[in-house]
Amino acid sequence: MAVEPLTLSLTENRLGVIGLNGSGKTTFARMINGLMKPTTGKVIVNGRDTRDEKTALADVGFIFQSPQNQIILPIVKDDIAFGLKGRGFSKAEIDRKVELVLARFNAEELATRRAHELSGGELQIAALCSVLATGPNILILDEPTNQLDLRNRALVQKTIDGLEENVVVITHDLELISGFERVLLFHEGRLETDAPAAEAITRYRELAV
Amino acid sequence: MQSLYVEGNSALHRLSPRAKIFSLFLLGFVLFLGDNLPLLAIVTLLTALIYRSIGLSLKESAVRLRPLLLTIVIVALFTLIVSPWHVALATLLRLTALMLFAAAVTATTTITQFMDEITALARPLERTGWVKADDIGLAVGLVLRFVPEIIARYHAISEAHAARGLKVRPATILTPLIILTLRDADNIAAAIDARGIRRHVS
Amino acid sequence: MSTRDLVLAALFAAIIVALGLLPPIYLGFIPVPITAQSLGVMMAGVVLGARRATIAVLIVLVLVAIGLPVLSGGRGGFAAFVAPTSGFLFGWVFAAFVTGFLSERLVHGNQSGLVQTVSFFLAAMIGGIVVLYAFGIAYLALAANIGLKQAFVGSMAFIPGDVIKAFVAALVGRAVMAGYPLLRIRA
Repeated sequence: MAVEPLTLSLTENRLGVIGLNGSGKTTFARMINGLMKPTTGKVIVNGRDTRDEKTALADVGFIFQSPQNQIILPIVKDDIAFGLKGRGFSKAEIDRKVELVLARFNAEELATRRAHELSGGELQIAALCSVLATGPNILILDEPTNQLDLRNRALVQKTIDGLEENVVVITHDLELISGFERVLLFHEGRLETDAPAAEAITRYRELAV
Repeated sequence: MQSLYVEGNSALHRLSPRAKIFSLFLLGFVLFLGDNLPLLAIVTLLTALIYRSIGLSLKESAVRLRPLLLTIVIVALFTLIVSPWHVALATLLRLTALMLFAAAVTATTTITQFMDEITALARPLERTGWVKADDIGLAVGLVLRFVPEIIARYHAISEAHAARGLKVRPATILTPLIILTLRDADNIAAAIDARGIRRHVS
Repeated sequence: MSTRDLVLAALFAAIIVALGLLPPIYLGFIPVPITAQSLGVMMAGVVLGARRATIAVLIVLVLVAIGLPVLSGGRGGFAAFVAPTSGFLFGWVFAAFVTGFLSERLVHGNQSGLVQTVSFFLAAMIGGIVVLYAFGIAYLALAANIGLKQAFVGSMAFIPGDVIKAFVAALVGRAVMAGYPLLRIRA
């Protein structure tokens, strides 16, 4: 999905991205962490160009919408630890980081659980821990509640609200971003509205009819 | 999934994985060198003693070894039909000795020890560009992670078939099983890449 | 190797393991159950092609080597590598490769569904039976200290079952290619 050229400077702590399917919002989100590279122009994250492979990804965590496809090892704490491999930490340091990140979300009991026994919400929390363990300062969540039932949805919303990192949420779930200071509305490949949540959501409702 | 490792502190437990594997190769080589029946019998007895030393109950040992032993007995019986009795007996002893020692090596070495060994052996091969040592651990983890999901998916598909009154036929279950499972590959790969786990791969 | 290819191979290895854990399939007209795991190896070839199918099988062998009971019947560990039938286990690697290699060469996008199925069947037969049995029989002859001809006669009984598996693999290969093509073939 192509997105028309635009120039943006994102500095807010909370950024929402909404739009119909195929509007270009996912393409936009994947440019921020370098999963997709721009064909013209550039994307600079924390002062670094995303085309510089080695550094760009490290600062940006990305949570995908399907909960079960992000935990890639059978036991949660092993999955979190795996992302910390090869960065020069000792085993003790890695174990400590795993403990700390789980404690942040009061999710210590998830550590020894098997991934395939977890609910969608628990999997998303575990995925958050895996991604945040490496210490990114920006977190992108791509439709994080899409596949969750009501209870799990509430759990994830509560968790997102408590995050200190800079958070970008792409979503259909308007309640998730209703309090955000800045929301981008994409429509048919271009940036339609760039405004606080209430205004963007109103415009979105107009377009969706 | 329960591994075949048995907790314990026998001499074999304390031996390094590399030494055990080397011994297995050596045993195989030695066993196939000669036809000396008394010697083969002694070696087989020794491997049986080694197997007993790892600490499994007789019942548990029987459960583990039965399928393999059955194959060996059938082959030995078949050999009896086409060869003299002492050749068949030699075959029975050789294969049994190998099986016992191999099973003992597996039972006294943890998965972690094996994985460390395999990763270490694969490192020098990275230069050829054929394999990345860390990918082996990732691949093993991925399999163990998704086997339960695949089994659950299989049951879901069977149930859906039954609910529609369709007969359970291999091709009509295996096709959706494979497609649904492999379709996840893109998402899983994206999650792996987003976390920078295979950073060493460009 | 791309992350996607690695994941595809690992997922298929997981399918092969799962097939070993599920109960054997009865085909109705034959009273003997078919263990689906060797069918899994053929399917890896027709679905993923030579390279990824071979890697999938190698991953399964690593799982066996490290002491996991992933072979049907709960077998695993080094004992599975030194049994008289281990040639059929090592042979999986070459069976997957040849099945995949032939699938990539024999099947074309512009063939009818029937021709594609026949091509997959040939690939599965040559890889999953001819090549596999070559390794299995050779190893059996060595391990049991019997002649090649005798080893062949001893293994013959399993061929009809494997021919049926090749047929199922062909049907699956064609159906998967129609629904989610992964094979690199000529259009």
